[in-house]
Amino acid sequence: MIEAREINLVCPLTDGGIAVNNLESARQRSWSRFWREPSRLGIAEYVVEQEQLTLQLLGDTNTLDRLEALVDYLDLAEAGSPRTALIQAQVTSMAHRFADARGYLAKAADGKGWSDAANRLSLSIDQACGTRLDAVLEARKRLAAQWGRLEELVPLGALHADLRDFDEADRTYQRALRQYRDASPFAVAWVCFQLGVLWGELVPDAQLARAARWYGAAIEYLPGYVKARVHLAELFCGCGRTGDAEALLIPALSSGDPEVRWRLADAMAAMGRLTEAEVQMQAARSGFEVLLEKHLLAFADHGAEFYSGSGNDAKRAFELASLNLANRPTLRAFEHAYKTAVAAGLPERAAEILAAGRNRWGTTNAFRFSPLADCGADFVKNDAGP
Amino acid sequence: MSDHIDGPRQIGDPAADLTDLFAFTSPENPAHTVLAANVFPSAGVTAVFSNAVNHSIVIRRVALAGTGKDAKFTPGDKEYRFSCRFGLLEPEGGKTVQRGTLTCPGGQTLRFVVNDENGASTPDGVFRVFAGLRSDPFLLAWVGGTTKVPNLLEHDNVLAIVIEFDTQRVLNPSEGSLFGAIAETTPLAAGNNPVERPPLRYDWVGRPEQTNMRLNNGGLEGVDDLRDLWNQQTPFALAEGLKPLFRQRLVDSLTEWDLRDGKADWTPAEIAAAANVYLDDFLLFDASKPMSDASFFEIEKSTLRGKAYQTGGGRTVDADVVDLMLTWMVNNDREYLQGGSANPTKPGTKTFPYEASPNTELQAVADGVDLAAPPDQVWAVVGPFGGRWHPLIANIELTGEGVGQLRTIETIDGKRIIERLEAIDQSQRVYRYTNVSGFGVVDYTGTFDVKPKGSGSSVGWRVQFLADNQPTLIVRTIVATLMKTGFEGLQERFGALK
Repeated sequence: MIEAREINLVCPLTDGGIAVNNLESARQRSWSRFWREPSRLGIAEYVVEQEQLTLQLLGDTNTLDRLEALVDYLDLAEAGSPRTALIQAQVTSMAHRFADARGYLAKAADGKGWSDAANRLSLSIDQACGTRLDAVLEARKRLAAQWGRLEELVPLGALHADLRDFDEADRTYQRALRQYRDASPFAVAWVCFQLGVLWGELVPDAQLARAARWYGAAIEYLPGYVKARVHLAELFCGCGRTGDAEALLIPALSSGDPEVRWRLADAMAAMGRLTEAEVQMQAARSGFEVLLEKHLLAFADHGAEFYSGSGNDAKRAFELASLNLANRPTLRAFEHAYKTAVAAGLPERAAEILAAGRNRWGTTNAFRFSPLADCGADFVKNDAGP
Repeated sequence: MSDHIDGPRQIGDPAADLTDLFAFTSPENPAHTVLAANVFPSAGVTAVFSNAVNHSIVIRRVALAGTGKDAKFTPGDKEYRFSCRFGLLEPEGGKTVQRGTLTCPGGQTLRFVVNDENGASTPDGVFRVFAGLRSDPFLLAWVGGTTKVPNLLEHDNVLAIVIEFDTQRVLNPSEGSLFGAIAETTPLAAGNNPVERPPLRYDWVGRPEQTNMRLNNGGLEGVDDLRDLWNQQTPFALAEGLKPLFRQRLVDSLTEWDLRDGKADWTPAEIAAAANVYLDDFLLFDASKPMSDASFFEIEKSTLRGKAYQTGGGRTVDADVVDLMLTWMVNNDREYLQGGSANPTKPGTKTFPYEASPNTELQAVADGVDLAAPPDQVWAVVGPFGGRWHPLIANIELTGEGVGQLRTIETIDGKRIIERLEAIDQSQRVYRYTNVSGFGVVDYTGTFDVKPKGSGSSVGWRVQFLADNQPTLIVRTIVATLMKTGFEGLQERFGALK
């Protein structure tokens, strides 16, 4: 693991346990204030920020339900205002309902146009959907040059990664760490996680040891970081360290994130504890289905990964990957949908996806690094064959 | 909020965000002085201090260097620094506790447990310290300095550090009794970056609302936000090169405040003199004179008026500083400006630690049921505010119409509950109501909605409240039972969604 001391941070960070305790405490306080005064400027916005952190870092899958209650309540208290529309846009964007989010964003302009927050959300939606990426890159670079803070640099790093400019993504993330001047560990853990994903999942030739070190650092800063635990456990399982994977996942079970159960099932199965593994796999399956029923688009990509992995339902995986692709036609979504179509024995659909992916992404630099670039006309048949 | 969330730098860890600084004569012992600093705006009930932040209150002896238009308070070089550091959460007796250490000006250290109301004292009784969650004493009952509203920080809590000490033994006022105090939060140590230096501090505060009211006056349009730049300055020693920038902003801001009521009560020369005083941003107090709830800023005001000050200035927990400052800035004390509330959530106390006990959290109970009937059909039954669909209701009567109407409910066990309709949206099938009487609660708000779900509908019911003179658990149980019984009745009527 990368020891925290190996990362060149400017300030010491608040202990992850204290930070999570304070986030949870402040989040509950914010809700209390919101219920009391839903229309008061800043309160609903603060709740959304805190809930976003809770979902992103602590894997609390009830976040989206709570935020739906928030927008319902806000809409009742302050229906039709640009502020309500912006918050609705933020919440629907978190749930990956990007078309709805764009609709709300259109209503979020006041007499002076969009606020900074609306502009930033618009950029995030475009980035998440893989649209107008040149313009997004331009805007992200401008913001990073103007402010140079971690909150501008991380989305820029993620965009470089989306564009398959991996070295630039790494440099940008590292710069974000160097620029950070605060005591909260959340942002630092987030960057470490992003670096783990970059080197473990996004580069064509994964550097698993390097990725594991970054995930490890994220967990060291924030022991409750569920996604970091899940990703590191996956790496551990892949190299036979199933006991370590189990030890990482057990503390994350209470989060309710079905990916924890899924990876735990994989680890247990690899250790030959098949009955326990089956219990965890059932819990994962039912957990995913509950989430998909409530927030289909938010969890479609994760559900597709689960079912194309040990969730073992290729058709369901393809169904979900297709939904995700229709919702956010990024290069990754094309790659995943293509792969699930092949695995589901649907060569014609795979070919359609490949053609559509080429049509949309084929001229980009990113496409050169995509596995889709190497798929010839006969690839589908070869790949899908027995 | 005196200095709450006052710059982008503070958005990171709220536990490093200073809200207020107080300096006053101890209500328990007039021979003692109390310094208090609060952090973490809107802290939740389980909030604790950051273990990576050093929390300091620093005082320096101040010399009166000029009066009237030349009013000037010059700080000396010698510092009296009180620093608090906090540890990790430790398990103890089934709970977690946090411990802290106060380092006093002479280097003496004092260990204490966070939230222990008795605090800790040195054996000689010279120093005493408390740190923990308290009711936020700040009172802000204005929006934009012109619109009166209820206290915006009602029911809020903060993390407080309260230090009491023997005035004579620590400050020796015979060498000069006028002092300036600031509070600052700083990185506990340098990080491990060999090139970049850590910020000197995360936040600091002297007089209340220097940043949010004066430097970032919302009435000044099209100006840069200087708060982050200000927060990076060294207290007692602003960068000389930046003084003109800050001075001009203060002049512009005070001029704008003066004209908020349409009248100019200040001459440009008076505003320039006041801006100069504000530029030296520390909380002034005279340890040899009486400090009261009304003495805040009296030292500065009298000096600017060319008169000898009469009080110890300082700032007590109950000082209504926003109204005092607004009155002075807007009309030069011609007419007192009282905001929409006269009191904070809880007044300060006369016993250590002087800041009131924390406020309890609003309770929320939420439940729902999925029904095998379309939303419009269900809403037709449960949507009318006077609808008698709940099995526990014996009778219900409406008074008035539309939003604001009251429903008087008689339950089957003889209770009488009155509720008011606050908002309703027929198209979204949702209404919000509040309890007026009959439930043993305050701040009770309920929301009821019906949404489409699959081939049927989903009914949601959410209630939040504060129990009043009865245990929270009992109210929660009553509310949860009310919901459960109601949903069972709806399921019998419409069937459960498969």
